[in-house]
Amino acid sequence: MKKERSKKYRLLQALRILSQWAFFGLFLFLLTRTRFTGEDVIGPVERFFHFDPLLGLVATIAGRVFFAAFAWAGVTVLLTLVLGRVVCGWVCPLGGLHQFFSFLFKKARLHRPKAAPAAPLKWKYYILIFILAGSLFGLNLAGWLDPLSFLYRSFTTAVFPALGHAATGLIKLLYLLKLSGPAGTIGQFFESLTINPVYIQGFFIGGLLLAAVLLNLVRERFWCRVLCPAGALLGLLSAGNVFKLKIDRSKCIDCGLCNLQCQTQASPFPDGDWKRAECVYCFTCGAVCPTAAIGFPARDVPRKEKRVSLDRRKIIWTPIAALAALPLFRINPAGRRAAASLLRPPGALPEPRFLARCVKCGECMKACPTGGLQPALGEAGPEGLWTPRLVPRVGYCEYYCSLCSQVCPTGAIKELTVEEKLKVKIGTAWVDKNRCLPYALGKPCIVCEEHCPTSPKAIKLVDNPALLPDGKVSVQKAPSVDTALCIGCGICENKCPVVDRPAIYCTSIGEQRSETNRLLLDFLDSEPGSY
Amino acid sequence: MKRREFMRNIALGGLALGAVRKPARPVQAAAKPPDLAWVEGESPAAITRAALEALGGMKSFVSRGDVVCVKPNIGWDRTPELAACTNPETVKTLVEMCFEAGAKEVVVTDHSTNQAARTFLRSGIQAAAKQAGAKVLLPSSFRMKKMSIRGEWFKEWEVFLDVYEADKIINAPIAKHHSLSRVTLGMKNWLGAIGGARNQLHQRLDEAKVDLARFFNPALTVLDAWRILVRNGPQGGRPSDTELRKTVIAGRDWLAVDAAGATLFGIKPEELPFLKIAADRKLGRLDLERLRIEKRTI
Repeated sequence: MKKERSKKYRLLQALRILSQWAFFGLFLFLLTRTRFTGEDVIGPVERFFHFDPLLGLVATIAGRVFFAAFAWAGVTVLLTLVLGRVVCGWVCPLGGLHQFFSFLFKKARLHRPKAAPAAPLKWKYYILIFILAGSLFGLNLAGWLDPLSFLYRSFTTAVFPALGHAATGLIKLLYLLKLSGPAGTIGQFFESLTINPVYIQGFFIGGLLLAAVLLNLVRERFWCRVLCPAGALLGLLSAGNVFKLKIDRSKCIDCGLCNLQCQTQASPFPDGDWKRAECVYCFTCGAVCPTAAIGFPARDVPRKEKRVSLDRRKIIWTPIAALAALPLFRINPAGRRAAASLLRPPGALPEPRFLARCVKCGECMKACPTGGLQPALGEAGPEGLWTPRLVPRVGYCEYYCSLCSQVCPTGAIKELTVEEKLKVKIGTAWVDKNRCLPYALGKPCIVCEEHCPTSPKAIKLVDNPALLPDGKVSVQKAPSVDTALCIGCGICENKCPVVDRPAIYCTSIGEQRSETNRLLLDFLDSEPGSY
Repeated sequence: MKRREFMRNIALGGLALGAVRKPARPVQAAAKPPDLAWVEGESPAAITRAALEALGGMKSFVSRGDVVCVKPNIGWDRTPELAACTNPETVKTLVEMCFEAGAKEVVVTDHSTNQAARTFLRSGIQAAAKQAGAKVLLPSSFRMKKMSIRGEWFKEWEVFLDVYEADKIINAPIAKHHSLSRVTLGMKNWLGAIGGARNQLHQRLDEAKVDLARFFNPALTVLDAWRILVRNGPQGGRPSDTELRKTVIAGRDWLAVDAAGATLFGIKPEELPFLKIAADRKLGRLDLERLRIEKRTI
């Protein structure tokens, strides 16, 4: 028997790897472009998300409104209907990352593919059913495990900051070695990238990415096989695809290499066992087959095929479990009363609608020029884990910037022009007179007033007599906030020289998007529903 | 090179330099340049150029081969018509004139308050200065170094090396209202040439400004008053916060420039504590009536 591997499938495999690199590169490029690049308008850097049918479906069902940009997901659906899960194998940047690490782990002999017990392929379907069932009740659970959200969030809040810290080390080293020329050049380049180096949950979110990558030691592309709800959705859609695996029995030597090396445990051998909903068309089987016995001809002959067998009882019980879990998400008081520290980005929809749409992808956090947008932990309840909130002590809301509203892939943050954004109030500043330098210590300061970006300024100065410990009185200009003018941008809190617990701080009260978190009654003067 | 060798070379070099030094050139009979130039006119570029000519040309401040730092105010994310940052045309003209005077390199930078990428771009200064051939540097934490500033009040602070390391520093502030200092002129501009917790310096801002101005001691100060900010300083926000004055005030004595700048706002220099402190320490002059001020309108 002639032993020769198939040239065609080795070429296809090479093309597939090339395609994965290209899309991963595109992902990185778009993510680094998600920053202030000199124009008020940033362009569709969030487009990747719109090709994701899972995010589109969940945002549409949970948000009860179709966001037009998700029409692009139709391309993915069509591709999958005709060609199967090619998007998983050829396009998905997280899939590419996992495949790359699977490859590395195999090369380094850290992972040896085993024929033995099947990984629980069905989990991802149950996860998908759970997410879809939740969306019926207005819960958006897609973002935590959606591959794009997972990847973007991890890179924004962990990988890029880590690279930023590495670059800082490198630049410091170069200066130490008196190489100030290259150090300056690299330094200027990194300044221009405006990588936010500080994220409150960076350690946690980065740890999850690391864990997901390390799962490739257990099984190749463990994420794609077992966890990915988007992959599960595409698997369900791939029921009628055209190209089907066929093993040429006359060539096959029953070596089982294809089964062992299959990235997603689609069981190419024997071909009656092949699970087309699991196959991502990576063509590893075709390329490794020592006798070139494997092909993917277009066949329309209906044939017996294997699927991941989902337990019918579990299919029913999963939505019921979701239904039971629903109240758990709503026990938290976040839905009843706004949290003081939950400053949402300007343009954010009213909280329930915001939560129904936000997919926790972190695009807004990446775009934020000051790094003030941070992943929430408990401030917005369990549903709101990793949704964006402004933390003025980390970074303030830049006055003439509306980038976060432009990059939101689901419209959870309504797109605003800079002009529109200037009028949006996201919270209100408060002076802590017990800590403020003029009030408490009788010392001059006015730093908050100096930085207040509105004109006329929302922070006014009043002469305040402070009683000092020695009984003397010191009269200084002290800040007083005009709440009607204050937009809650938080620059006062950010720049306050009382660094540990600023003497002026912003809370969400008065945020324009909320009907319950209001402060002033001036809305009664305007037309109802004007916002 | 060993330290001993180094010392010996320095000594030899010094001797050699001393031996070949040319006799001092006879002082020109021409009139001494004025203490201050105060020029009004129809374009920021023209008045800047005229002011420098009145002061004897950029060559009196910049020598051939110098690395010059032009330090404008690029602190705020505001466009030129809001007069929160130095006029870009003024900066551009200064850069051009530095090169004309033989400067090797001109650095334009500022430790801005808003995001530097935004302020540098939207102030128009980045584009204007680059067009004139300047090296425009975004402020970077690597370039802030704690050092002795030999101040009367504060002794050390983080200094922005890209400003400090230049052979000649040209201060190019803009005249603006400020709630604490009443006005912000050249001396306040040095808060953009330092790092650290500079917002804490507001507690003793007047003394801080004097110490910093003495430390940076610019070769030349060119106060942009093309459009000044008269309220809501130091960043304004509406064109109505500004007044078009079409003026530039320049001079070697940074204290005198600030003293003259105060009068733009109808303030007598003696009323401003930071000017008083600096004058008491004999760092410059604020007795405007005795200064030779060349006023021109072009």
